Amino acid sequence: MFEKFAIRFGADPVHYKLLMDNEKVLVERANEGKQGLAKLSLTLYCAFSFLISIFSALIVFIGIDVFIYTIIGVSMSMGIVAMWGLPYFDNLLSPMYYQVIAHTPISSRTYFMVKLTQILKSSVILLFCLNIFPSMCGIFLEGDDLTSLRYIFPIVYLPVAFLSGFFTIGVMAMFTGYLTKLYSIKKLQKIANFAQFVLPILFPFSFYLIPIEFFKENYNFIVRFLSYLPIGWFAGIVSLAIRNINRLGFQRDLLLTGIALGSTLLLILIPLRSIAKTYSGYLAFLLENVNINKKKLRIRRTLLSSFFKNRETYASFCLCALYMRRDKKILSQAVASSFGMLIMFTIFFIRKIYPIEIITYKYALGLSPGFMAFYGFFGMTILLGFLHAVRYSQHWKANWILSLSPSGNKAAMWRGTEFTTLFYLLIPLSLIAFLVSTYFWGIYGIFYVLPGFLLLNISVFTYPEPKSGLPLSEEIVEGEIGSGCVTMILYSIALALLIGILFLARFIHVWVYVGVYSIIVVGGIIVLFRYKKKPND
Amino acid sequence: MIEVLNLTKEYGQKIAVDNISFTIGKGEMVGYLGPNGAGKSTTLKMLVGLLEPTSGDITVAGFNAKTQQLKVKQSIGYIPEEAQLYEHLTLVEHLQLIGRLYHLEEQLITRKITDFTKLFEMEEQAYQRVSSFSQGMRQKCLIMGALLHNPDVLLFDEPFTNLDVTTVTFLKELLRRLAELGKTILYCTHILEVAERLCPRILIINEGKLIADAPVEELRKQTNQNALNEIFVQLTETTGIDDKTGEAVRIVTEAT
Repeated sequence: MFEKFAIRFGADPVHYKLLMDNEKVLVERANEGKQGLAKLSLTLYCAFSFLISIFSALIVFIGIDVFIYTIIGVSMSMGIVAMWGLPYFDNLLSPMYYQVIAHTPISSRTYFMVKLTQILKSSVILLFCLNIFPSMCGIFLEGDDLTSLRYIFPIVYLPVAFLSGFFTIGVMAMFTGYLTKLYSIKKLQKIANFAQFVLPILFPFSFYLIPIEFFKENYNFIVRFLSYLPIGWFAGIVSLAIRNINRLGFQRDLLLTGIALGSTLLLILIPLRSIAKTYSGYLAFLLENVNINKKKLRIRRTLLSSFFKNRETYASFCLCALYMRRDKKILSQAVASSFGMLIMFTIFFIRKIYPIEIITYKYALGLSPGFMAFYGFFGMTILLGFLHAVRYSQHWKANWILSLSPSGNKAAMWRGTEFTTLFYLLIPLSLIAFLVSTYFWGIYGIFYVLPGFLLLNISVFTYPEPKSGLPLSEEIVEGEIGSGCVTMILYSIALALLIGILFLARFIHVWVYVGVYSIIVVGGIIVLFRYKKKPND
Repeated sequence: MIEVLNLTKEYGQKIAVDNISFTIGKGEMVGYLGPNGAGKSTTLKMLVGLLEPTSGDITVAGFNAKTQQLKVKQSIGYIPEEAQLYEHLTLVEHLQLIGRLYHLEEQLITRKITDFTKLFEMEEQAYQRVSSFSQGMRQKCLIMGALLHNPDVLLFDEPFTNLDVTTVTFLKELLRRLAELGKTILYCTHILEVAERLCPRILIINEGKLIADAPVEELRKQTNQNALNEIFVQLTETTGIDDKTGEAVRIVTEAT
């Protein structure tokens, strides 16, 4: 299907097939020798999306109308597809193997279509997982104006959901394409990296921007407002298909259907065609070097250098800290989604969707399951996310530099990575948690932070080393984002056990609790020191 | 300083390096020549410990590469054939990384980086990221990294690739002076003119086998040829150049 579309779009059929096969081989070979977990990422992302879709689809049972139901489903699907697609657009801006074929007579349009097809192909499975459950739940929609077509709701809904997903990718491609005309490659890569980092953080703010009471009171106004947005256009198609003709709003749905189909067609025919045509002109910039910087040579030495007795650990610490700041892919994998979730929950608490007591309620000094779970879980997501991401690098071939290290102490080099996590993520995060805890419990807040801090510390120092034993030494394969999930689940179970044991101890007797708390803290410190000393032995 | 005995590297059925042996003494600079795919880079990678030999023994700076690999690594400076670097690092950060991996004092690293960047005329690029460097600048970056810890043995794989004439001239002289100071240099190349001028002794490898190990003068006498490229062609039995050229012209000009 994609091939036919690409050829209609002006791609050379021979070149197109050749490049598609070539890219497939490249991805397969890049995956060779990877551990099984690394290949699971799309599956995990799909499973995660499926889970979210269940929550959004269950809204059908509160008696919502078909238009709003479809808007919720489609906006969720479009939003997740947009976030999933962002790293691929980074690849569209700076294709890895472009220089290899830049001089061959492959047309700009063909190359662009190959890149676009890859994005579309990878999003098909995701779109299916996102929309299958909402499409089935749609059968249970109620309303006087619904026709018997609602029993085949999935057949109506799924194509619209797919169309809206492809529309999202098309708009993103168009947006990316126009940006290439406005900005230099360096700036664009920065924008793409920035977007990957900021969007997942800002996304939850939409919960804050949409006032729920206002939504309830001004239903008609909201519906009209949403009709101006693409999500409303696509919802219009579903609404038109399964509702009676003789009803209020039929003309609106008809108009929205026209806009949805028309805009998709226009998007394909005008801007995407034009961008495809000029894509190679943009890519030519990739071969140029920019960035002239005249700075006086003054080499700084940090105070931290004296903290590290082992030179390899210090070298690796500096390397990972620099990559953490400069390689936005690492940073976004580590913190973006976690911060997004944190902001989302903060907003839920502020808006009283969840009572704040969930995190402030305490059973004893140092035992607030809600607070400890939040601090522990978010901490783990960030720390383990970073430790997972820092294994990979687009510059993995430079690992010969680390392999030639004369001491050959790989454990010491991985220890440097752990210290980067400790200094730049765990300590700032724990300080913030401590500040929050002092707001609730004053200086005693430290007792609520301490067990979680020790567990997080231990989780950092016991996190499994990569196969190579070195940071930044494995090749990135597109879509490996979620493969650190299993380790994350194991550590989350450890966190739940820790809270559970404390809770049980408190339930038995307060002095039992004091004893167990002390054992956990002292034991944690002993374990921590044992692991921290390991590579220098 | 370098002793290689019956060294073999096999990749499945393919024998990349076939039972080669040679010795290079202290202060000696030796050119290691061979056609593409002859096994030059594979030999060097085994010497530095990036590849494990299938069989044979390697001794570098008095240390056995199998049992004392880390001591071998400590005593070598290596330039790989491809300039693979951490692109997000600046030149200074790259050299700091190397210095720390070789356990140099911070003050010494700072001093050496300052002097090296001046010497290689890269002060302006010191804080630029490697990703913005030209191929020549990357090569300079590798050379500075290889010399930073004052190694006893230098293993260079095509070190002058992409460098300008001035830098090449300067580096040739530098290598000669380092050899005089007692450094052992194994210089891997297929640019015969450079090897001829720089290296008193030549090793030639072809299809994994060492086919010549002698001073240039001796090779001239053995082959009755004057120029090294002619010696090379004779030794590697690259015959039928005329026929090959004729065939190539036919293929190129074949109707499209």
